[in-house]
Amino acid sequence: MRRGRAGAWLVLVVVFVYYLVPMIAMTRFAFQRIPVIKLSFGNLFDKWTIAPLIETFKEPEFRSSASLSVQLAIATAALTLILLVPTMAVAHLRSKRMRRMIELSSTLPFVVPAIALVVGFAGAFRETLPMFIRSPFGLVPLYVITALPFTHRALENGLAALDLRTLVDASQSLGATWYRTVVFVIVPNIRASIATAAFLALTVVLGEFTIASLLLKNTLPLYLSYSQGQNPQGSFAVGLVLILISTIFVASSNRLGKVVRS
Amino acid sequence: MTGKVAFSNVSKSFGAVKALVEFSLSIDEGELLTLLGPSGCGKSTALRVAAGFETPDSGDVSIGGTSILSLPANKRGIGMVFQNYSLFPHLTVTQNLEFGMRVRNISRDKRSARVGELLELVRLSGLSDRYPHQISGGQQQRVALARALAVEPRVLLLDEPLSSLDATVRIEVREEIRRIQRASGIATIFVTHDQEEALAISDRICVMSIGRIEQVGAPDVVYRSPATEFVARFVGKVNDIEIEVLSSTKARLHGHSQEIEIASAGKNAGLGAARLLIRPEDVQIVRPDSARPNVRGTVKTINFGGATTTADVEISGTGHLVRVADSTRNMRYRVGDSVHIAFDTERALLARGGA
Amino acid sequence: MNSRVAGSLNKRARHLAFAPYAIFLLVFLVWPGLYVFRSAFDQGSAPKNPMIEAVTGQYRSSFIFSLRLSFVSAILGLVIGATVAVALMRLSHVRGLRNVVVGYSAVAANMGGIPLAFAFLAAFGMQGLATRLLKGINIDLIGWGFRISDFWGIVLVYLYFQIPLMTLVIVPALDGLRRTWSEAAQSLGASTRQYWRFVALPILTPALLGGFLLLVANAFAAYATAFALSAGSSKLVTVQIRFFLQGETITGKTNLGYALAAWMVIITAFLVLGFQVLSRRAERWRR
Repeated sequence: MRRGRAGAWLVLVVVFVYYLVPMIAMTRFAFQRIPVIKLSFGNLFDKWTIAPLIETFKEPEFRSSASLSVQLAIATAALTLILLVPTMAVAHLRSKRMRRMIELSSTLPFVVPAIALVVGFAGAFRETLPMFIRSPFGLVPLYVITALPFTHRALENGLAALDLRTLVDASQSLGATWYRTVVFVIVPNIRASIATAAFLALTVVLGEFTIASLLLKNTLPLYLSYSQGQNPQGSFAVGLVLILISTIFVASSNRLGKVVRS
Repeated sequence: MTGKVAFSNVSKSFGAVKALVEFSLSIDEGELLTLLGPSGCGKSTALRVAAGFETPDSGDVSIGGTSILSLPANKRGIGMVFQNYSLFPHLTVTQNLEFGMRVRNISRDKRSARVGELLELVRLSGLSDRYPHQISGGQQQRVALARALAVEPRVLLLDEPLSSLDATVRIEVREEIRRIQRASGIATIFVTHDQEEALAISDRICVMSIGRIEQVGAPDVVYRSPATEFVARFVGKVNDIEIEVLSSTKARLHGHSQEIEIASAGKNAGLGAARLLIRPEDVQIVRPDSARPNVRGTVKTINFGGATTTADVEISGTGHLVRVADSTRNMRYRVGDSVHIAFDTERALLARGGA
Repeated sequence: MNSRVAGSLNKRARHLAFAPYAIFLLVFLVWPGLYVFRSAFDQGSAPKNPMIEAVTGQYRSSFIFSLRLSFVSAILGLVIGATVAVALMRLSHVRGLRNVVVGYSAVAANMGGIPLAFAFLAAFGMQGLATRLLKGINIDLIGWGFRISDFWGIVLVYLYFQIPLMTLVIVPALDGLRRTWSEAAQSLGASTRQYWRFVALPILTPALLGGFLLLVANAFAAYATAFALSAGSSKLVTVQIRFFLQGETITGKTNLGYALAAWMVIITAFLVLGFQVLSRRAERWRR
């Protein structure tokens, strides 16, 4: 038993080192004013600076791509919720079959990888609805689909934990319309899973590269990829910030998920 | 193969909680003994110590005179049935039954012959190729029983095997267990918190509370002559009536002038406030002119229970409710009737302390 | 209005509620998907059907490269992820450890894309910190031919999200092993080894296999990380498809990109289907 525990600790420590090393390397590379070739144990604490990040923040290209990414993220989260919450609520109320169909459809994006989706999208829309390809907001529906498996799961957990039938009957017996029932009864009761879904949608959009890259839209990940050459320190610094943000988003959606389950 | 199972002075604590305190008990060959008690009384711990899943802090457990504590669980030759979900979900009924024989490297022919016998024994021959999730809970427990018997254990341990079943199925499986246990003549320890189950199935019952034995005896003895207040309350229903003890043979209902006999119950009671613990069937409705001392009361409720019926009688003057049980044939009263009741205290228990 | 009419109206209204979602999926998922397949089978003036061309020659080796990468990273992810889960089980007495590891796994399983590639470039690139550190103790990765943009380099990076994904699959599966199964096995005479071999492992198999397929699909569809590691020159199918959409393509083969995408969908569909079937079986046993 003792030996088993020592082995278990060893496993965790090795894996932990594997997880730590790239992050440390990236942090040092981005935030130390030392040529990469000279980074070593000896200068671990020397010449730390956040200047690369500040300078990058001042770049107009960075600003425009960051603002685009934030707008896309918010639009995606909003569209996801508008589309999913009422539909899933009705399904939970009325029809088990519909619920299963929606569940099944939510796994479809796993079947169609982002690269295949964007290729098909570009081909299909180029001739018929080219505005979707021209406008950067044409990305939003594709992002909604990419995030669907995660956002659906989050909302499903919230709805499954509710006795929706009783809530809605109570609300409607008091004379509320369907619209009022959704906004004032259902939404407040699943606000934790709505927040979870929104966080997950934001995370997906902020990190998404494939679709934006193939449709040549200058989102944040694309900016990172392009500026890697001229401004390596700055782009690594921004990359680190992105990792931090997505860590916070995922961690908080996890925490909220636990609230839903209990 | 079977042998006498003996616990001697077994103690076991989990942190500050004492699950077993100096627990000593022996189970004879071919006997079905029930450990009965509320949850947390240590009955499951005793079973798990015998099975080898818990190590006692002190004391010994032996089978056929030999200590088994040094043996690991898989070498003890013990068959165990759990509360539920113990069948291996990825194996069919047949494969579940074969499991113990397979790990013992028993030949395929012998295995399938034995499986046939076992399926017949528990009357499930038609379900041999089903998976556990395809059969009912009652059937699962019968398979679990057969699986435990498959390796011809020296002792059978049943840990609340019926408590996750529906009421009707429970009785069916209970009778099945009793029949099979009688047929196989294997020493069996049955753990339950259900007193009715314990009374119905056991050769002897061991009533436990917080790690200690309250009473060991045949079901009728435990029921009729509870050794302690705990046993009286836990096994069967009991009236708890406040009385004042006047002498070693006489007492008076609290706040009432009528004296009653407490000759056999009052042996150890001092004078003064006490409580009479008496079973509903030891209280009778009698004619007002009966020779026995009786008190007047009013029938408040009638609870029809099939063969027997109980009535709650409020004693005039004190407002005490006393439950009376009798066969439905004799119980021809209605709510509101004025009746006289007499106490047959021969098997009643006197407890210290009043209200 | 009699009740039957009301009922059917109600039903129609009910279906109407699903319309926006259904239309959205049709337009933005199903239509593009069908378009891929229609174009993939459209030979046009090309000498060969694109679906056939897509699995011959250099494209065939692209698929093989992608699949090999996916399988290798999935197998390693499975083994290491399972080891981590078992280690957690052994250390269940350490309070909070499990929550920390599982919580971080959720974060790391979602990581990927450009930032992750950057982190590994900083550590294991030609001048990477870890590369030079290891060289200092005579482990000369570059000298041995290791490149972060090559097969084993990409595997190393993919493990960053594959391991935690597997841990997330296995931890609940291990939780699903009931104590009564192990006790029943013991009371029937099985040793610990026999319990694992005949009971625990078979019960875990669907979950493990399902998780494995999920990992394969996950790696197979990945694009950004490999793209950034190799500065856009990777052999991966996903990176190859890019050339066709961006017009950097040999004329007469315009539909080849669709064919590559179509094959990708077919392969992932099989993987995901296998995952669904296996996890349904695991679910059924858990009852």
